[in-house]
Amino acid sequence: MKKTTKLLMVAVTILFATVYSTSAFAQAGKKADKDTKLWRYEVQCVGVGNEGTKLIKVFSYSKKADVAIEQAKKNAVHAMIFQGFNGNSGSGCPTQKPLTDNPALEQEKADFFDAFFADGGKYMKFVSVSGDGQVAAEDRMKVGKEYKVGVVVSVMYDLLRKDLEAAGLIKGLTSGF
Amino acid sequence: MKKIILILCSLLLIVNVGFSQAKKPTIMVLPSDVWCNTNGFMMEFDNQGTKVKIPDYKKAFQESADLLNVISKINGLMADRGFPLKNAESSLKSLEGESAENAMLTSKGGAGVAESPVDKLKKTAKADIIMQLTWTVNTTGPKKSITFNLQGLDAYTDKQVATAVGTGAPSFSAELAVLLEEAVLAHLDGFNSSLQKHFEDMFANGREIIIRIKKFDSWDGDLEKDFGGKELGDVIEGWMTANTVKGRFSTTDATENMMLFEQVRIPLYDASGKATDARGFCKELQKFLQAPPYSITNKLMMKGLGQATIVLGDK
Repeated sequence: MKKTTKLLMVAVTILFATVYSTSAFAQAGKKADKDTKLWRYEVQCVGVGNEGTKLIKVFSYSKKADVAIEQAKKNAVHAMIFQGFNGNSGSGCPTQKPLTDNPALEQEKADFFDAFFADGGKYMKFVSVSGDGQVAAEDRMKVGKEYKVGVVVSVMYDLLRKDLEAAGLIKGLTSGF
Repeated sequence: MKKIILILCSLLLIVNVGFSQAKKPTIMVLPSDVWCNTNGFMMEFDNQGTKVKIPDYKKAFQESADLLNVISKINGLMADRGFPLKNAESSLKSLEGESAENAMLTSKGGAGVAESPVDKLKKTAKADIIMQLTWTVNTTGPKKSITFNLQGLDAYTDKQVATAVGTGAPSFSAELAVLLEEAVLAHLDGFNSSLQKHFEDMFANGREIIIRIKKFDSWDGDLEKDFGGKELGDVIEGWMTANTVKGRFSTTDATENMMLFEQVRIPLYDASGKATDARGFCKELQKFLQAPPYSITNKLMMKGLGQATIVLGDK
């Protein structure tokens, strides 16, 4: 009887721990999504990518380093559409303007972008983590209670542009001709 | 039955007008004068005692493989954006071929092809927008880098409508061809986004063109000729105000013999919904001047989509 109670206690503890950690992870993910919407991330160009791609380093914030790494992909695609990035003479990158010049586009087309940036959403098609997502020691910083993590990602810029053009969210170079 | 046919015809007309597209500008990549001069691709000739240097594009295309690679890369990337470019080298070859053909062409009766001195002068490789290309190789010790400059120049207004310029990352080992390819990849997106801004401005405010009014010396009238208390020049300016987009144009020069209108914003479509250009716009001015009370015979000449000249007094 005592043994059964002990086993039951262990099982309940594991269950609570699992539920707590899953919920904490989900909470951290939600917070990270909110940060993306508030454009709380930093982007640096690290080099000229292959044809049709942009190679950038994205710094994301989260209480959990793993969430920050995963969120980097979302932030990278978000940056390409709404923010662009500054040039970096050391790596030969010119300044890149965002794909849209309408900063309110995200709110105006909220239905599209909510689905696009949802976990496992279409944004995944246009981004890949470079170097298996390994983070250099100097790119993992503790800022207050959060982690600031820099991850190098490759964004399929041309494909992303074509997709947004096809969805009618941005104009193509030949629109109107 | 007649009513149905009428409705169908109206629908067809509406659909036709609705899908009418603006005239697409042609774009061509050419090396800049600075690049040609630095790399020894210039021709020199004596122009009435003054030595004049002009770029020798034919020689540049025949001798510089790097130039061909860069142009080919730009052409490929622009075609991917739905904007295939005119190839300058092929244009030059076509012109040569056409000249030879014209020289040999005779009718059965022995007549040759009519060609005025102006026709001959106009026979150059041309496009509406020139992508002017310059690069320089910078060397610091064993390191090499490329400074790349791509300018989009409107062939008619002489305005720079797009640009991308910058210096690539220095490299110890990369070959020039690789550095050049990297420069094109790095800068073309920036160039295209500034070009797109230019097109958006064109759709919002009309195409910007240049119009020249001249007179033949055989004509006894001039631009100060009085028509009901108004000089002809003022009459033409009044027509321009009424027909340009938001009345936007600048009268840069005006004498009794000539007028120059710059920054003339013309609508992309005429009253019937058809795409128009400088020639189409000036045809209306030509008709206006030919009609009473002015009744001035005139000649209309055009240069691409964005420049037109009306010469008053004769055909």
